[in-house]
Amino acid sequence: MGIKVKNLIKKFDNNIVINDISFEVEQGEILAIVGFSGSGKSTVLKLISGLIEKDSGVIETSGDIAMVFQYSALIDSLNVSDNISFALRERKELRKKYTSSQIDKLVKEKLELVGLTGTEKKFPSELSGGMQKRVSFARAIITNPEIILYDEPTAGLDPMSSTLIEDYIVRLKDQTNAASIVVTHQMSTVKRTADRVMMLYGGKAVFVGTPEELMRQETPYTKQFVTASLEGPMKMLKG
Amino acid sequence: MREYALKSTITYKLYRQFQIQFVEFVSTIGDIIFNGKEVIKFIFHREIDIKSTIEQCARFGVSSLPITLSIVGMSSIIVAMQVAGEMVKQGAGSYVGMLVSVLIVREEGIIMSGFAIISMIGSSLASEIATMRITEQIDAIQVLNVNPIRYLFVPRVLSGILMMPPVLVVACLFGIIGGGVAAHLSSGLAYRAFFESVWSGLVLKDINVAILKAIAFGFTIALISCSCGYNATGGSRGVGIATTKAVVWSFVAIVILDLVFSIVFFF
Repeated sequence: MGIKVKNLIKKFDNNIVINDISFEVEQGEILAIVGFSGSGKSTVLKLISGLIEKDSGVIETSGDIAMVFQYSALIDSLNVSDNISFALRERKELRKKYTSSQIDKLVKEKLELVGLTGTEKKFPSELSGGMQKRVSFARAIITNPEIILYDEPTAGLDPMSSTLIEDYIVRLKDQTNAASIVVTHQMSTVKRTADRVMMLYGGKAVFVGTPEELMRQETPYTKQFVTASLEGPMKMLKG
Repeated sequence: MREYALKSTITYKLYRQFQIQFVEFVSTIGDIIFNGKEVIKFIFHREIDIKSTIEQCARFGVSSLPITLSIVGMSSIIVAMQVAGEMVKQGAGSYVGMLVSVLIVREEGIIMSGFAIISMIGSSLASEIATMRITEQIDAIQVLNVNPIRYLFVPRVLSGILMMPPVLVVACLFGIIGGGVAAHLSSGLAYRAFFESVWSGLVLKDINVAILKAIAFGFTIALISCSCGYNATGGSRGVGIATTKAVVWSFVAIVILDLVFSIVFFF
């Protein structure tokens, strides 16, 4: 089933942040959510992951959810190995399932997958931003989730690191067949990873289509977003 | 227009400020009670991370000891110096040990240890958890389906309960010895006279109540500090606000608890 969202509404005080949006993401599919800052993209991820409560609407998910945070959100008091195996060691039902040596083996496998073999004992502060992001990928997939949410996975990274991360997103989808949502500002991430794109503005979905349709700029919204123009239907908040 | 004029008045602004503070006060109490209930539930269900609890015990007990001993020791020395001179002059030198020990065990030792632990450990717990909150580490823990109260609060609160009594015992002993030395050096009171009178004033109830108080203080300080950090919002400013709030609330809470203990056990 993947992810099914219907008539989702979220308000903060009297401000409607998500205004009646509906979409579906199938297993093995990547949906990119784009839009200007403050359009409600990250709020959608927080609602799906259960970090915040919805006001109304339906969110249906098929299984375990994992999330890769914008700034990795690694637990800074734990080393790389303990960060990756965190869920296996701390979740009651998983603790019983795996022995310590099985956990170590799984950690090694996941580190190899993200190209960070040999960093088990390092702490997050000893890693670069790109490496931290890759560790957070490994942490996200260790429980074999059916849904992976990425919150601006390439933000703050250099172009080469961004490309590497984009490749990992696609590779993880292929290996896990997870339904994935990637919130991003970057067109390169959309082009390289997404099967479909949804554009949000003012909490509403103003465009849903393929990356190619987005690039064709057939609507005023897609045109303004792709050309990064200040002229168009989407008004930026004045600083 | 009239409504705008009303909202601009100082009285209205003060009223609004009071309203905001009151709501925050009530919600903080609610959060602390809720988190406390969860912590107790996890402890009774034995969902305890032993390794993490031992680490927190080392932090709570060992790292706080130098500052706790310094504060309790120095305040005991001051008290002993102040009273010993006058009491020796009045021929009541043999009661100095009793007075100093009762004061330390019943009040000064525990309250000064509490203040030291709040400054040293409470503030560090609050800022650590608040930083985890604003850097989304707690969100990550939640998304990984791990209960943050169990993972973060239980080892810290348990270490408060387990370590506060031994810290208090060591601090009280240190304070009494310090008082004896101060009384001897400042007023020439014999060590034997001082230490013989220590036990004449203390009864078992004093020690039991002090241990109970230490357990309650340890629980309260750790719980309030964790709760304030856990509910931090905003950026680095939020960490500062959470830390200050943890310190202030813990100070007030232990003074209120101390009053309650005094009323219940000594009146």
